[in-house]
Amino acid sequence: MIQVSELTKAYKGVTVVSIPSLSVAKGESFGLVGNNGAGKTTFFRMILDLVRPSTGQVFSKEEDVSKSEDWKYYTGSYLDEAFLIDYLTPDEYFEFLASLHGYSSGDLNEYLNEFDELFNDEIRGKKKYIRDLSKGNQKKVGIVAALMGKPEVILLDEPFANLDPTTQIRLKNILKKWKEENQLTMLISSHDLNHVTEVCERIVLLEKGEVKQDIHTSSSTLKDLEEYFAQY
Amino acid sequence: MFGTLLSQNWKEKTRSSIWAKSVVANIFLGFAAVMLLSYAVLLGFFISVGLEDMIDSDPIDFINKALLYYFFFEFFLRFFLQNVPVQAIEPYLHLPIKKGRIVHFMLRKSQISVFNLLAFLVFTPFAFIRIGQEYGMYTGFMWWLMIVGAAFTVHFKTMYLKKKLNDIPNLFVIMFLVIAVVGGLDYFNIISLSELSLLLFNWILAEPILALIFPLSWFLTYRINYQYFVNNTYPEELSTSKNKTKIRGDFGFLKRFGRIGELIGLELKLIIRHKRPRSALIMSGFLLLYGLVFYPQEAYQEMDWIFLFVGIFVTGIFFINYGQFLLSWESGYFDFVLTRKTSYRQYFEAKYYMFVVAAAIAFVCSLAYGFFGVKIILINLAAFLFNIGINIPLVMRIAMNGPKKIDLNKGAAFNYEGVGAAQFLIAIPVLLLPYVVYLPFRLLGNDVIGLILVGVVGLVGFLFRDKTIDMLTSAFVKNRHKIASGFRAQ
Repeated sequence: MIQVSELTKAYKGVTVVSIPSLSVAKGESFGLVGNNGAGKTTFFRMILDLVRPSTGQVFSKEEDVSKSEDWKYYTGSYLDEAFLIDYLTPDEYFEFLASLHGYSSGDLNEYLNEFDELFNDEIRGKKKYIRDLSKGNQKKVGIVAALMGKPEVILLDEPFANLDPTTQIRLKNILKKWKEENQLTMLISSHDLNHVTEVCERIVLLEKGEVKQDIHTSSSTLKDLEEYFAQY
Repeated sequence: MFGTLLSQNWKEKTRSSIWAKSVVANIFLGFAAVMLLSYAVLLGFFISVGLEDMIDSDPIDFINKALLYYFFFEFFLRFFLQNVPVQAIEPYLHLPIKKGRIVHFMLRKSQISVFNLLAFLVFTPFAFIRIGQEYGMYTGFMWWLMIVGAAFTVHFKTMYLKKKLNDIPNLFVIMFLVIAVVGGLDYFNIISLSELSLLLFNWILAEPILALIFPLSWFLTYRINYQYFVNNTYPEELSTSKNKTKIRGDFGFLKRFGRIGELIGLELKLIIRHKRPRSALIMSGFLLLYGLVFYPQEAYQEMDWIFLFVGIFVTGIFFINYGQFLLSWESGYFDFVLTRKTSYRQYFEAKYYMFVVAAAIAFVCSLAYGFFGVKIILINLAAFLFNIGINIPLVMRIAMNGPKKIDLNKGAAFNYEGVGAAQFLIAIPVLLLPYVVYLPFRLLGNDVIGLILVGVVGLVGFLFRDKTIDMLTSAFVKNRHKIASGFRAQ
């Protein structure tokens, strides 16, 4: 689904990402872990063509993401607040996205109803702009928006941070369910080793921009990772 | 302590990305400030030495009569332009520093302000040169003390009123009524403010010691502010903007125009929900009246070549005003603009048509100027066509050069965020290009042919709009990473 070749990014001579080759298969759930500054977000931004790589390319369905806009139509993403139009209400924002996806208002309603549990009655039908929502609620809006339109790939940066425990568990279940039902390819970065090992089949560990470990999740993965970071 | 806070404050200013990034705007602002202050100094010396040549009455009487008006004027100036520096103390509130100290710091620091220099520069020479000569240095000094005291009293008074505005929503209306009534009474000579002013300030000249009232009221208003802030230092109570829960604007009708309509609707929401773009829009409305400055004047009938400039301005002010920050308005969610399911071309198409429609609306409104002659309609039509065909794409293209981030949630007054070299460049081609076509014919005496040609050039540009939008899109595609990282970094 996604291939990376000879990908590097350097800022003023300092290399922040350097990945010679990496590929994510269709339907795979891919977890990215690493300390602050490991290059997780920069890597995601390069996949989304938000940052120009210093060298190398990212291919999505064999097409270079910086050359064609096709990937936009099957890729959902939420990295940070810069993905939200903060002067809209959540309802307006969803409506705007629904129109981009060609949803009718019935489709939209049906889609959003799936997330009623996640929203916990704090998002829809409220006369509040997105900028006035709490960080956690903003994140909920962003994630639900990213899943709209049945994307084939989804990229989420720290999806569990800022969410309350109940929502974290609900979100985990939603992601697992979506993956199974829709053959969704997921790329998730997280500092929460617990959640990420539970959701993802494959974990890649970045350190100073380089892939240090690339492992298939097993029962010992969580322990191994904890040990690795404790000794770092 | 005071020193530490002051140095941190200084760092906040000098290290802010706005300061560093928009050197041009800062030079311009600095230049404007220096100009303004030197005017104040010049005015100060003028009223001290040159006034008697201009008026029949005694200069001291004249100034004393004007003083009350002056302070009213200063009050308004401050009320609308001066900021209350409360946000600056927010990061200190949770630290182990006594609240009183922070408030003292904030209030003292607020006194370092251009507005406080104004009265000082204008009236200091007068106090020592004129009054000092006629009444003695002691009286001159006391009169000066009164001016300074009064200026700072107004400073703190305004600050307090602006804060109170949040607690008493009708305060603004009350103030407006009071001023209307006083102004009315003055206008119809029922009471005379100038006589009152003369009476009050001549009294100071007679009894200089009374001038001490003003420094005293300076101190008193300071204390009132201090008490208020110490008791109300909660960020949510301090913020000057009220949380409005009202959701404005729907623009559902635009959905009928498909994706482009949807994008225009979104942009309109952006415009009416934020102060700064909204005031750009309102400005455009007011500037429709710009023609009234020119058309009725005898003097301009002689030089009617200038009317084309008026036409460009009147029909194009919205895209000049708003379009110069084309991408900056959306800098807050630019990553989303790049990843959402719209093509870049649609994005620019939407912007282009929004500007065309705005120009068309302005043109239709400007038809009323037909009252001053049919020729004006022809001029405005030519200007309108030139705007939609040539100037709009041109402004959009120039605005793409190194756009700067704009924080939409900041106000409009004195906000130079987003201003860079591109914004200064825009006026040149926009106003010059139509004359490149028009002026040769004008000089040859073929005025109308020149105008028609301006219109035709614009029309041709408009007919090739698909091509120009393509060019804009490819220029954007080339620069998109640089623009996005610029918006992200700041």
